[in-house]
Amino acid sequence: MMAEASLSTDQVSDRLRAVLAAAGASGTWDWDIVGDTLHFDERFADLYGLDVEAGTAGVPTETFFTAIHPEDRARMKIAVAGILGGAELFSKEFRVQAPDGSVLWMHGRGQGHSDGSDRPVRFTGLLVDVTERKRTEERLRIAQSAGGVGTFEYSDGFATASVSTEFCRLLGLHPARTLPVRTINGVVQEGGSLIPEAEQASDLLHGEFCIVRNDDGVQRWIARRGEIVRDSETSSYRFIGVIYDVTAAKEAEERLRELNETLEARVEEEIAERQQAEDSLRQAQKMEAVGHLTGGIAHDFNNLLTIIIGNIDTVIRRLDSSSDPRAKRSLDNALKGAERAAALTQRLLAFSRRQPLDPKQVDVGRLLAGMSDLLTRSITETIAIQVHSAADLWSIEVDPHQLENAILNLAVNARDAIGGSGELTINAENVAIAAGDGSPSFLHPGDYVRISVADTGEGMAPETVAKVFDPFFTTKEVGKGTGLGLSMVYGFAKQSGGHIRIESELGVGTTVSLYLPRAGSGLDELIEEPGIAVELGKCNETILVVEDDDDVRDYTVEILRELGYRVVEAHDGQTALRLFERADQPVQLLLTDVVMPVMSGSELAERARALQPSLKVLFTSGYTRDAIMRDGRLEPGLDLLSKPFTYTSLAAKVRDLLDRS
Amino acid sequence: MSGGETITLTELESDALTEIVNIGVSRAASNLRKMIGDQVLLSVPSIEVVSQRRAARLISEREINELVAVRQDFEGPFSGRALLIFPEENSLELVRAVTGGELSPQEVLDIEDEALAETGNVILNSCLATMANMLQRSLTMTIPEVLRGDGNKLFEILEGGEADGLVLFLYIDFAVRKRDIRGYIAMLMDLPSLQTLKELLGEFIERVVGNDG
Repeated sequence: MMAEASLSTDQVSDRLRAVLAAAGASGTWDWDIVGDTLHFDERFADLYGLDVEAGTAGVPTETFFTAIHPEDRARMKIAVAGILGGAELFSKEFRVQAPDGSVLWMHGRGQGHSDGSDRPVRFTGLLVDVTERKRTEERLRIAQSAGGVGTFEYSDGFATASVSTEFCRLLGLHPARTLPVRTINGVVQEGGSLIPEAEQASDLLHGEFCIVRNDDGVQRWIARRGEIVRDSETSSYRFIGVIYDVTAAKEAEERLRELNETLEARVEEEIAERQQAEDSLRQAQKMEAVGHLTGGIAHDFNNLLTIIIGNIDTVIRRLDSSSDPRAKRSLDNALKGAERAAALTQRLLAFSRRQPLDPKQVDVGRLLAGMSDLLTRSITETIAIQVHSAADLWSIEVDPHQLENAILNLAVNARDAIGGSGELTINAENVAIAAGDGSPSFLHPGDYVRISVADTGEGMAPETVAKVFDPFFTTKEVGKGTGLGLSMVYGFAKQSGGHIRIESELGVGTTVSLYLPRAGSGLDELIEEPGIAVELGKCNETILVVEDDDDVRDYTVEILRELGYRVVEAHDGQTALRLFERADQPVQLLLTDVVMPVMSGSELAERARALQPSLKVLFTSGYTRDAIMRDGRLEPGLDLLSKPFTYTSLAAKVRDLLDRS
Repeated sequence: MSGGETITLTELESDALTEIVNIGVSRAASNLRKMIGDQVLLSVPSIEVVSQRRAARLISEREINELVAVRQDFEGPFSGRALLIFPEENSLELVRAVTGGELSPQEVLDIEDEALAETGNVILNSCLATMANMLQRSLTMTIPEVLRGDGNKLFEILEGGEADGLVLFLYIDFAVRKRDIRGYIAMLMDLPSLQTLKELLGEFIERVVGNDG
């Protein structure tokens, strides 16, 4: 009986061992707290390098810690102390050093047993070798953190999902093994639910989500990849997948897309700019060509007009009271007509930028204030005129008369555009154009004073605007305008180193802006023009007149003699120089045409002044060329009388020059 | 944070505290078992020392719905407040479990707070008494009080506008058979109290581990 019973017990324990081995168990223990004895099985004995018999007989409980890795020993002593103190559950992972020196990871699961009065009496447990799992976990952990990949697993219908540490880190959540689905989906801003809904149609979990990280509030892009697995037992679904941060890729993609988009816009802009530049160039070339033509015509015309006016002038002065008054009236009419023709050629020259300018430092504010009378007289009362000048306007260096002319011209144009009642605003302000800052490209960088004349008139269509500066182009009724007003203003602005710009919209109005460059440091005083009065010459004042056109020369000489000067004449430069060399009386003033064959007026003036440095020079010209002009200005010490000139203007200019010290 | 000052428990100290709490909750489970007459399982607790703000966040990350807490203050070598926190939807379930499911829904509602306070008292008392016992010190406790609100509210109330204190945060799964009940235990202590606790844990480790420490 006994033997049979003993055999039976062995059989039972053998079977038990086999079951435990199949379950992966590496040993079991039974810690008798009251008796302070440790019992263990065969596998535990193998693991600890102990006798199997000792396990049955019992060893001191301290033996439990002998095979535990020194680094884990303290931790395990504390854990066991908890059980000995009355804790129920024991679940620890720790390393055991086997007798062969190998280190194995063990998972110890145990249970504290208490008696009826809650006193701990026994501590039983089971060791499971988890070395392989530990290694796999380690590999997975490293793969996740190194790759920045977080994993999740979610069973359909549950409120929580199992997640990895890296998963939590990616979403900025506190690391946990399980998280409520609502918490996870709560970080998603765009893209749907990170933990998918059951209705997910596809078997794949591909998706991208814009999230706001919970810890630092930073917006990131997260990609999700994974699969839906059908649980064969419960026929419910499990969603298993990974997430990773794709913000950098998203941003790069975005930048590329933006670049592509702006590329198109940049090309368009570039083309538009080029188109504009080409248009400007074409316009400039056209104006240049027209300018040459009109300039040439005006020059010859002026010579003719000088003769006509001069001779009519002479005849009128020779008429006495006995003459036929009708003849006098006819001559006056002829003179008026000729003077009007002269005014016309003057405007043509202004447009062709060949009008001689007399630039001075101009205070635009003062100039505008001085024009108010003129403006109110020229503009009808139904139009409200407003003139604003910025307080600290820079001064500019332009011909003040021409500037007044230009402003008046623009104001009159504005008046005609308004027709009935409206507003006309003249505004002067400083404008600094920096290089390449998107400012108007028609201007060179620098400081300008902008004078704009704006009206609330009918405005113009773009086709009209394109032509407004063309000479003889006019929108006014036949006979109302010459079509030269804006052309003159254009020529003036260009010749003064500035620019003119017109903006117009049909039914809204037109604004014409003059950009005139800020004056340099030169501080010429603002000189008021002296009034013109006929002043006679003295016989000791000798004037040398050089002019290749015989009629013009005759007329000029005649006037000067009439004024009481001593006059010598020459028809070209060489003759004039010879006269200088043998002059019995010194010549005070050289009056010479600018454009002459062989030797130009300026060359003559230069050589004559070399002979006689104190010599004063007065040029006469229908127009002036670079020969005597620098940037449209006269060289110092020289003066110019525009053709056609009259008796009075010649007399005044000659006297003025001779009296200059 | 109070000047960024904090206290960190070493791994061993943290393990020791976990085990002590483990003993505490085991006692609590045993007591609950007697009250409910059904099996009560508890997970091995996990422990963290965090700021009050972080504790509030930890709670609200895990629990989106309203929370119920049973609060008890304790005093001794280390002083503070203990909170047993669980989702509000669990609270009636817990009351039903404790009262044996013989009450009508209205009756359950009527005694809810009372039953919660009593249950909380059993659990918190077990934990704190065990801690005091294991650390060989004594603590006194006030009468339990029931609070409701989200994580932020629970911890802000206790913050009282003062500097951000530290919280000993324990996560324990209570599982009453066939009932879905889970909860957390939080202990709020100021820095000096935590410092004292740390020292007492050191002594405990010394006693238990001896030379191997």
